[in-house]
Amino acid sequence: MNESLLSIQDLYIKIKAGEKTLLRNVHIEVNKGEIVGLIGESGSGKSLTARAIMGLLPHGMNINGRILFKNSDLVKISTEEHRQLLGNEIGMIFQDYRGSFTPFIKIGKQMVETICTHQKVRKKEAQNIALQVLDEMGLDSKRVYLSYPFQLSGGQLQRASIATAISLKPSLLICDEMTTALDVMNGEKVLHYIDKVRKETGCAVLMITHDLAQAYKRTDRMYVMNQGEIVEEGLPEQIRCHHQHPYTKKLCSCLLALPGETLVTERVISV
Amino acid sequence: MSLVVEGLFKQYSKQVQALNHISFRVNEGECIGIVGESGSGKSTLGRILLGLETYKEGSITYHGKTIAPRKRSDLRQFRKSVQMVFQDSTSTLNPKLPIWKSLLEPLDNFKEITPSFLKVEGLTRKEIAQELLEIVGLDKEMVDRYPGELSGGQKQRVSIARAISIEPSLLVCDEPTASLDVTVQVQILRLLKELQKKTNMTILFISHDIRAVSFLCDKVMVLKDGSIVDQFELSEIYDEGRHPYTKALIQAASIE
Amino acid sequence: METAMMKTSRLIRNPNMSIGIVLALFLAGVTFFGGAFVPHDPFQIDMNNRLQGMSSEHLLGTDQLGRDVFSRIIYGAKLTIGLGMFAIVMAICIGVPIGLLSGYIGGKIDAFFMRIIDGILAFPDFILAIAIAGMLGPSLTNIIIAIVLVRWIVYARVVRGLVLAEKEKEYVLVSKVSNSSSFKTIRMHLLPQVMPDIIVMAAIDVGKVILLISALSYIGLGAQPPIPEWGAMLNDGRGYFQVVPSLMIYPGLAIMLTVLCCNLLGDGLKSYFDIRKGRDGL
Repeated sequence: MNESLLSIQDLYIKIKAGEKTLLRNVHIEVNKGEIVGLIGESGSGKSLTARAIMGLLPHGMNINGRILFKNSDLVKISTEEHRQLLGNEIGMIFQDYRGSFTPFIKIGKQMVETICTHQKVRKKEAQNIALQVLDEMGLDSKRVYLSYPFQLSGGQLQRASIATAISLKPSLLICDEMTTALDVMNGEKVLHYIDKVRKETGCAVLMITHDLAQAYKRTDRMYVMNQGEIVEEGLPEQIRCHHQHPYTKKLCSCLLALPGETLVTERVISV
Repeated sequence: MSLVVEGLFKQYSKQVQALNHISFRVNEGECIGIVGESGSGKSTLGRILLGLETYKEGSITYHGKTIAPRKRSDLRQFRKSVQMVFQDSTSTLNPKLPIWKSLLEPLDNFKEITPSFLKVEGLTRKEIAQELLEIVGLDKEMVDRYPGELSGGQKQRVSIARAISIEPSLLVCDEPTASLDVTVQVQILRLLKELQKKTNMTILFISHDIRAVSFLCDKVMVLKDGSIVDQFELSEIYDEGRHPYTKALIQAASIE
Repeated sequence: METAMMKTSRLIRNPNMSIGIVLALFLAGVTFFGGAFVPHDPFQIDMNNRLQGMSSEHLLGTDQLGRDVFSRIIYGAKLTIGLGMFAIVMAICIGVPIGLLSGYIGGKIDAFFMRIIDGILAFPDFILAIAIAGMLGPSLTNIIIAIVLVRWIVYARVVRGLVLAEKEKEYVLVSKVSNSSSFKTIRMHLLPQVMPDIIVMAAIDVGKVILLISALSYIGLGAQPPIPEWGAMLNDGRGYFQVVPSLMIYPGLAIMLTVLCCNLLGDGLKSYFDIRKGRDGL
């Protein structure tokens, strides 16, 4: 399973005017079927990285380096090809779950539309796929299918949007702060299903978050980002207990311990 | 017993029950965490305690006095000793007013109060505002700035300074860290803890983050669908007798 | 914090705004000092010089009674623009407090004012103004009363809407929790929030109201002859339109210029405040 799926190499992003560098020398590897965490505070460049992969950078930005996805370089391909990739190969889930569906159209209809635009299937088949993926997400598929977005809770909506993304069977799922707007229990549920989907379909997940507890628990590997640079990477235990970089240390010390929980074994190292 | 809530009941409509006969007691100087998901009624509880919303049944007693909703004279006395810090750092300060004006609003309304931690004599109003800012660890210079020029954490510090300026004996915090970055969250929590030690005020800390609650509070109350399902001392958090919902919450927040 | 100079320069950089300001300065000059430069008495009838064309003595010619058109337009500026502004100020003075109270306090007060407003809004404002002015009798005072009665509603409604959106914001709640009286909360937090919108609306509205005054005068409900109000002048010139169209063209141009100025100022102010809003939101 150690086949590389997405490989970001020497990625630089600059604002054209003013020569301000937003991302500097970013390296990220995502292998097939892996959950990779990208953590950092707001403004660290996490979301910008995601947008670069999706080809959704705002105007006025220069991009340098390589983003290899299944051996094609996403930096060089045309917008048209990029659009083909989005959805079919790369799915994205955003923080703002309210924005993922149009408010006045039933969720089922929107899902069918999405499936039909990306894949050559008939409407009937698309419906079946939609119902099936909603089921997989642990939702009452019939009810959700016939609901308008405002009739569902935040957690349900977020799971529905994941359902939409995985209905296209992407090989990479990018989750940008997808649990931030949800509370702990709903977030946990959403993450549980992401994990399940990963195990079942073998799609890789790039999980962008600032929630350390989640990242420790759910990821196979994680990257720490600060001010546009990857400052550290490693296994969750490595980052948690044996971090090297001062910024990682600062970030890790911000995770408050539950009673009786040891988060950092750092003292042992320093002695 | 400083704050006693008995049988508090609130309904928005027939279907939506915000609070279902809630009763609890808070001792002087305690720090109570109220945990629950969105929709559990935890924010409604905070708003009712502050008199921002009315309630149908039940009673709230503070230091032996009953607080009736809609009675202005009662509320004034009550608000002298109770303040609130809100969730959204972006809208907690009026964007059109300089910081010092926002900061001094409570003190202006309660002219009879002089905070014991300040030597107010001979100070201009702006200087009082500067002192308040220093207490929450902000730069004096900020008094003349506008909220748009401050970061989220700074704004939240200003609103904490504003809340403690009249030395409330009860401070209700409604998810004060939810809109902030992780590193800033910890700073704000530390500040609250430090202020609590200094002034010995009672804190009701409403949050969905059980980690934050266990950092700050001695007692935890778990709210679900408008009812209190569990209530315990922090030291008993892993007891077998915990409600399944509490266990689920802890499990969700844990890293294993 | 921005200095006053930076603010001004940002205000002027907007092309709409700068043209608007130039026009406004010009109109203000005419309104305040025009009287000193008027070559003729605007009320002086000279039957020997009726319906003259342009000449060095009568810059824009004379009307059917031989009065100097140029002088009448200058003199009329004071009347038309002054009355328009006065009407708006009155409408704001009535509408804004009602909107603030209605939105903030809500309940019965809100229901009461909203029913009145809904009732009045059921009629187009021009028709209503005609009806009121017609009932009160034709005179300038009465059409101003009619216009104020029609226009305050707009302000009350807009302010109420803004207040409803704003009053659930946390700083307003904090103000309540700090035991500020309703009056103080409104003055300290809500009024400054609605002010920019009021100013923009007022700038555009002055133009509308001037049109309304002129229109009412044109149909004979407002200014009565010989008062040189622009709408009334249009009415005067109507009978001679085929012979001397300039009698209607010049007052018409004056009205157009004023309304244009108001709209430009309004648009400019709007984008100015929008930028400010965006900055505050950061």
